[in-house]
Amino acid sequence: MIEIQHLNMVYPNGVKALKDINLTIERNEFVFVVGASGAGKSTLIRLIGREFLPTSGNIRVFNKDITRLRRREVPYYRRKIGVVFQDFRLLDNRTVFENVAFAMQVVGASARQIRRQVPEALEMVKLTGKARRKAHELSGGEQQRVCLARAIVNKPSLIIADEPTGNLDPETSREIVELLDAINLRGATVIMATHDKEIVDSMKKRVLTLSAGKIIRDEQRGVYNQDAH
Amino acid sequence: MLIRNFIYYIKEAFCSIGRNGWMSFASVAVVAITLLILGSFILLNLNVEHIANEIKEQVEIIARVDENCGPLEVEELRVSLIQLAQVEEVRFVSKEEALVRLKAQLGEFMEGYEQEHNPLRDSFEIRTINPEDVPAVAAEIKKIPGIAAVDYGAEVVDKLFRSTNVIQWVGLAFMIGLAGTAMALIANTIKLTVTARAKEIMIMKWVGATEWFIRWPFIFEGIILGTIGALIPSLILIYAYGEAFSWARMNLYFLPLVAPEQILLDLSKLLLVLGAVIGALGSMFSMRRFLKV
Ligand SMILES: Nc1ncnc2c1ncn2[C@@H]1O[C@H](COP(=O)(O)OP(=O)(O)OP(=O)(O)O)[C@@H](O)[C@H]1O
Ligand SMILES: [Mg+2]
Repeated sequence: MIEIQHLNMVYPNGVKALKDINLTIERNEFVFVVGASGAGKSTLIRLIGREFLPTSGNIRVFNKDITRLRRREVPYYRRKIGVVFQDFRLLDNRTVFENVAFAMQVVGASARQIRRQVPEALEMVKLTGKARRKAHELSGGEQQRVCLARAIVNKPSLIIADEPTGNLDPETSREIVELLDAINLRGATVIMATHDKEIVDSMKKRVLTLSAGKIIRDEQRGVYNQDAH
Repeated sequence: MLIRNFIYYIKEAFCSIGRNGWMSFASVAVVAITLLILGSFILLNLNVEHIANEIKEQVEIIARVDENCGPLEVEELRVSLIQLAQVEEVRFVSKEEALVRLKAQLGEFMEGYEQEHNPLRDSFEIRTINPEDVPAVAAEIKKIPGIAAVDYGAEVVDKLFRSTNVIQWVGLAFMIGLAGTAMALIANTIKLTVTARAKEIMIMKWVGATEWFIRWPFIFEGIILGTIGALIPSLILIYAYGEAFSWARMNLYFLPLVAPEQILLDLSKLLLVLGAVIGALGSMFSMRRFLKV
């Protein structure tokens, strides 16, 4: 599913955020990316989302090197991945339904598809009863669930999430990760960057530990690594 | 373009025009002023050109015959004149006829000049096929033996054409400046919209909207602003030129103006297209930076 080779990222200011990353993620895996602040987690996630290009190396996703995508191909790549943000990024004055439908509208879905798929996505994140509420009226956990629904509504096969629980309390965080797990069970590959030790330890998933831009540990059914700090 | 996308673009465009009321108003006003000036300028130009053509039509060469020529030689001259390639018409004016004309024009100033003391010469009035050929033909006629002097409205015509040219260039430069201002204002208005909706645009990019899908509402916004801006001067000019034309017909009947129905439709079309283009270009400008991700 994802194959990363000799990936280096040097920001324009000279910071070497990633150094020679080599990594393979199989279809339908659930991967936690952990590490100290500044280790390079967000950089890795953003590179997979093709937010910018690496300094060198390649990133193959769905058997295609996304570092070689042409500019006009990027939107079509993004349609195949779902993105969840730490800060939710919802349109505050629109309803829950509209926020999720928005992701379908902008890729040219028909009204019929929207009427069918949006309720499905909302049901998946257990928000069916709140479809007509304005996004800014919801709690943080609910907002993140809307963001999840929006990420899955176009049925992507890869979900990337950069600290999706970063702004939530432990209990709400659990709910979100369990939803991501359910989405993973339905067939999507999930990559999630996090600082949350308890969640990582309890989920028993693959854990990638980054330190100063390098992968220092990569374990199946791993745990959060204290010596990374 | 899908119909549902098109509807979405138009709806978004109108929404954001409403949201930035004042800036939208300013953009429309500047486009309107620009195009009003351009439109007036085009009308002025067309009319100057029209009048110049009318005058050119009337430009003729006057060739005065040497006093020593007798009637036979005059006839020979007439024949050689009419054989010149560019000449359309040659008319002989005897010195007697010339004096009568002059007296009619000047009246008492010519008192005392009777036919026995006629100071004038016989002459030919020559019209060329193309008014532009007048100077060349005049030079040629001058060389013919028996022709004492050649006159034509050279200065008048030259000045007329030179000044219309200058007016055209100055006006064009002015217009380009104004159109640039209008475009910059529209770009600014749209930039406000784009900034206000930066979050929305970012989400659109992340869920895979194409750049054109993101762009179109803003382009439509620019086109709508530009077209409304063009509609106003079109209506003003249609009304004002019609009034001016009928006034001139009553009061300046000697001035040959272009009839309104001949130009106003084309002029309005031109202004509407220009307005739309200015709007579209303005919005394209403002978005170039924003679409990188
Ligand atoms: N846009 C940028 N320009 C320059 N340097 C950057 C940029 N983004 C990140 N960095 C630097 O790159 C390094 C890795 O940053 P990154 O955001 O990937 O870390 P992280 O592991 O996500 O940290 P955190 O846990 O705090 O989110 C840091 O040293 C950071 O300062
Ligand atoms: Mg980060």
